[in-house]
Amino acid sequence: MKRLLGGGVAAMLAATMMSATALAGDLVINFDDLNPGPKKGFDDAVAQFQAENPDINVIVNNNDREAHKTAIRNFLTADAPDVTSWYPGNRMAPFVDAGLFEPVTDLWAEQGFNEDLAAIKPTMSRNGEIWGVPYSYYQWGVYYRKDLFDLLKIEEPKTWDELLSACAVMKENNVTPFTIGTKFLWTAAGVFDYINLRTNGYDVHNGLTAGEIKYTDPRIVKTFENWAQLIEECGFIDNHASMSWQDAIAPFANGDAAMYVMGNFSVDGYKNAGLTEDQIDFFQFPEITPGLPRAEEAPADAFFIPTNAKNKEDARKFLAFVARPDVQSKWNATIGQLPINSKATVGDDKFIQQGFETVSTAAGLAQFYDRDAPAAMAKAGMEGFQEFMLDTSKMMAILERLDGVQEEVYK
Amino acid sequence: MAVTDNAKIVTQASWLSRNKLTIAPWLFLLPALVYFAIYVVIPIFESIWLSFYEWNGLYLADGTSTASWVGFQNYIKLWDDPKFWMSLKNNVLWLLLFMLAVPAGLFIALFLNQKTPGMRLYKSLFFFPFVISQVVVGLIFGWFYNPDFGVVGSIWKALYCEETVNLLGNVTFRCSQTPPDILSSAEFATYGIIAAGLWPQIAYCMILYLTGLNNVAADQIEAGRLDGAKGWKMLWYIVLPQLRPATFIAVVVTVIGALRSFDMIAIMTQGGPYGSTNVLAYYMYETAISEYGERYGYGSAIATVLFIIMLFYISYFLWRMYQDEKGGR
Repeated sequence: MKRLLGGGVAAMLAATMMSATALAGDLVINFDDLNPGPKKGFDDAVAQFQAENPDINVIVNNNDREAHKTAIRNFLTADAPDVTSWYPGNRMAPFVDAGLFEPVTDLWAEQGFNEDLAAIKPTMSRNGEIWGVPYSYYQWGVYYRKDLFDLLKIEEPKTWDELLSACAVMKENNVTPFTIGTKFLWTAAGVFDYINLRTNGYDVHNGLTAGEIKYTDPRIVKTFENWAQLIEECGFIDNHASMSWQDAIAPFANGDAAMYVMGNFSVDGYKNAGLTEDQIDFFQFPEITPGLPRAEEAPADAFFIPTNAKNKEDARKFLAFVARPDVQSKWNATIGQLPINSKATVGDDKFIQQGFETVSTAAGLAQFYDRDAPAAMAKAGMEGFQEFMLDTSKMMAILERLDGVQEEVYK
Repeated sequence: MAVTDNAKIVTQASWLSRNKLTIAPWLFLLPALVYFAIYVVIPIFESIWLSFYEWNGLYLADGTSTASWVGFQNYIKLWDDPKFWMSLKNNVLWLLLFMLAVPAGLFIALFLNQKTPGMRLYKSLFFFPFVISQVVVGLIFGWFYNPDFGVVGSIWKALYCEETVNLLGNVTFRCSQTPPDILSSAEFATYGIIAAGLWPQIAYCMILYLTGLNNVAADQIEAGRLDGAKGWKMLWYIVLPQLRPATFIAVVVTVIGALRSFDMIAIMTQGGPYGSTNVLAYYMYETAISEYGERYGYGSAIATVLFIIMLFYISYFLWRMYQDEKGGR
């Protein structure tokens, strides 16, 4: 291990030398989105923070999302910023366990976040501490072609049976009920999560992703049976395994497919494909087990303070700032997502309003299968979901294989 | 004082000049050796060393590594890992099918080895796929296979589908049989990628044979012709033996090309559907470096296995070269 250690020490030395240029009043923030909307939302917030705190000199490093995912593994030790964006749930776990993030439990108590950000608190917590402050999340659900539904006289389905009978009408009229692109796997996890949340509820989702429930557990088998029923009686477009989620918009936009289980970020894609706001709408994923408290997927984005940050005092000021209702309202209006602070207000976009209603009344918020489960489990699980979607008869073989992976990953 | 100084200089100069011939090559080799050590030799050993650890790639806040020693555990896991065997099987498949590039290159070279006006243009057109990046080749073939808008899909639509209008009045296709989706079928995806990989590889072998054909002795061809050799016999007994060095190199680069296949897979399928097109190189990347990986120890174990396979092959190659040199061809 000497060599590895040597590398680490050298990186540390380089880091201390480089950061010597950062002065006492400097606040270095690493952010991870260069897309025009999110970048503007962040830049505006930083400008406002700067105006309110003229004595702090904010230095921003904005990086592409995928590059950030790689870079954070180095910069947390080598050249830590004072604040970095990252994700809650299992995605923050390796960094928390390695002691690379600073707990902010006291900041939450001081600022009253325990009430204002209550819904997200469980996913921001690990080992009895709270590790960051979220600034935004977005809803998942079923996006559908309202014009097709109107033509076929279908109402938004509220229950599983209503969904299945709606599908029957669509199939009679040569409309494929669902579009999806599973080439990059995670879209299938969205469908799985929803069927699982509706079949078994939030606690089973957490138990499964925490490795406490086996994949061959009768409850999970039931989820897969429901999924098989959805594939059989509703059906997804052909060739989904060679499509990205963007490719899968094409049949949706053409009117060949009527529904899409997706996150709210996809609305931009529908509009770019030529659909107008009147042609598309949103409904919550229908109820499967009657009376089960409704949990939703709502992946959040958050800010964290690295343990090696130099200016932790101002970093905490920034974290307190991004959670403020007025800041979250404005920021999320810019990026078209939902503020997490319950005192914040939402924009007048119809998807945002429906999303806010969906998420704010939910009994529990899941982060998404690949954020709640550890990386190796998520990869194997999502491959299993894709394989299952292509051939439902392999169900038990897939579940048994996933049990094996689970045993390996969580030991 | 001055005398002893002078004497020193004289002895120094004479040592240098005495050993000039020994030192000079090492001096010229030094930069290459240093870089080779830093970027190739040391990382190999570091990677082998890492394969005995379990490590998620993170250091603690004070810079110490979070790795823990697991001995041969990673290799034991590898033995029981169906994805590893799937990758190894695909590597073998690549190796076997990639060999088709050698005869295919030979025949294209024979075909192009004529004196017709504009031959240079045709030659460069055939060589073109080797010049463009593998990533581009992967993208092109990805579109080619696409069942919706690719060539395969279009031909299928012409044969089995009829154009109709859907509920909303947009043009759509109804097919009596669903079009083949090569890249998302577990059975055919690997063959699809290999076919894409063959395209530039054939061009490479072709260029090797074209240069080889330039050196084929005209007098031997003529002598053969006088003795009545024609067609296949001429090729097999007279031309091919003279192309032996070209064949050797073509086989070598093709084997290496097959073993290091990575970019095509990364572009076309990311190892999918559900891991069925993985090869060792991509599986290593996936477990160690990709977003869902971060198991550096396990990834290094895969890398080590791939390294050993390559090592055996390259040692054989070097031994053959050495034998050839010794035998003076």
